[in-house]
Amino acid sequence: MHELKATRDEKAPGAAAAAAKLGRAIVITSGKGGVGKTTTTANLGTALAQRGARVVLVDADIGLRNLDIVLGLESRVKHHLLDVLDETVSLDDALVPDKHSETLSLLPAAQAREKEEVDTEKMRALIQSLRERFDYVLIDCPAGIELGFKNAVAGADEAIVVCTPEVSAVRDVDRVVGLLGNRFKPQLIINRLRPQLVKKGKMLSVDDVNAILRLPLLGVIADEPEIIVTTNRGEPLALRKDAPTGAAYHAIAARVAGEDVPAPMPHLKETFLERLGSIFGGKRP
Amino acid sequence: MSGRRIVITSGKGGVGKTTTTANLGAALAKRGKRVILIDADIGLRNLDLVLGLEKRIVFDLVEVAEGRCQLRQALIKDKRFDSLSILPAAQTREKDAITEEQFSAIVARAAEQSDYVLIDCPAGIEAGFRNAIAGAAEAIVVTTPEVSAIRDADRVVGKLNDRGKPIRLIVNRLRSEMVRSGDMLSVDDVCEILAIELVGVVPDDEEIIDTTNRGEPVVLDETSRLRAIYDKIARRLEGEIVPFTSFENQGFFGRLIDAMKAG
Repeated sequence: MHELKATRDEKAPGAAAAAAKLGRAIVITSGKGGVGKTTTTANLGTALAQRGARVVLVDADIGLRNLDIVLGLESRVKHHLLDVLDETVSLDDALVPDKHSETLSLLPAAQAREKEEVDTEKMRALIQSLRERFDYVLIDCPAGIELGFKNAVAGADEAIVVCTPEVSAVRDVDRVVGLLGNRFKPQLIINRLRPQLVKKGKMLSVDDVNAILRLPLLGVIADEPEIIVTTNRGEPLALRKDAPTGAAYHAIAARVAGEDVPAPMPHLKETFLERLGSIFGGKRP
Repeated sequence: MSGRRIVITSGKGGVGKTTTTANLGAALAKRGKRVILIDADIGLRNLDLVLGLEKRIVFDLVEVAEGRCQLRQALIKDKRFDSLSILPAAQTREKDAITEEQFSAIVARAAEQSDYVLIDCPAGIEAGFRNAIAGAAEAIVVTTPEVSAIRDADRVVGKLNDRGKPIRLIVNRLRSEMVRSGDMLSVDDVCEILAIELVGVVPDDEEIIDTTNRGEPVVLDETSRLRAIYDKIARRLEGEIVPFTSFENQGFFGRLIDAMKAG
């Protein structure tokens, strides 16, 4: 417990930024694609906004944007990040207010443009100006470690890395952590854990993953079919605090905000056969 | 005669490009074809892990491009199939360490000594993507039945169409029970949006996670239902007309009914 607290007290960027009345710019990244960066950005942003914080989500995946879909805002997008960087529209015109959370906004990516069109210095300046208006600037990073990655991390001062319990994802995250270096103080979210598979020895456990990565753990999210459903519908699960996964995102948001709450951890559900076993007094496997 | 050069791509990451490349390659090799798999994901390679060959890497793609070694020196022969080998990506280099011309030349050389060259494309549509598709004559687009993956696949299909390459589709990680409950797009929905030829539908199976972590392609597992599915995709690529399995009955009770009928 003391160790946990110690790591959180070290988190000076939050405190320093608050003192200067600047918001925190956090990039959500992973190296490997499809591990849940966009879902994590939408849910963490929603959970932080539900706590009353002013939050802007920046989709940095130019050409392959998806954050608008996950938030259900795709038909409300008028302008995008590159329009703002090109100064053809104002930031206010490009920001899309969220449907569900009053203090949440989205800055969408351009779909028909290329990542190479982004000027890194302009991107850095834009993130800086967003920090003046919002408490949290969450940047949804594209997959890979090419130019899109470099632009997404350019303006950030902290990083959250998302990893699934798979050898390939762990290897990619480890590479990204190496590229980020010490400046971003990366913290870890383990996504899509299936406790049942871990128990059977068929999936890496939280300890297995973090034995390699050695990062401060923000929380662990279970692999739930409802994530796919809510993503397709454009309603982040964090809107449902009563659902286990929704509650887990709220706990992660609280930890990001500096509260001393335990890292959420999915618990093992009894399987049908195990329940039968316990009902009939048999031995558990 | 030169072998076929096929890129496996998707736009979105994590939909199963690498797993598809490894298993389709193994299925083709099992049918006696000479297959070379090229990992084009420089800096974030994983194909070696999925095949359990990571400890055997000596040279890589970038070193071949730079002329530091011969292609045959860099090729790693698979542990299980004599006619399958991989050309690993460099791990500590960047995607721009190699040009489209260099990549195309390597693919052409690999095609001279094989029946199939399968190129595992990186996620995204940046330089790494352009390299990976440069050397290919055909493409297989992998998507999952999710709105975000389909949107990205559609963008990639557009880019491939611009280059006039024939494109085929694999729908990966289908959960038939979710399709039935209306919580997931069906294969028909996906095909209608993307409008490209379907060559395979792969159900979501937790076995894949385990076999991938262990570096054993699932097509080697005699008991796996996925084995037959990848074999069918290989046959369709060969030009055979193979009917599609219906997954409508593949839920727990569906399988139970099938098993009882079979018994």
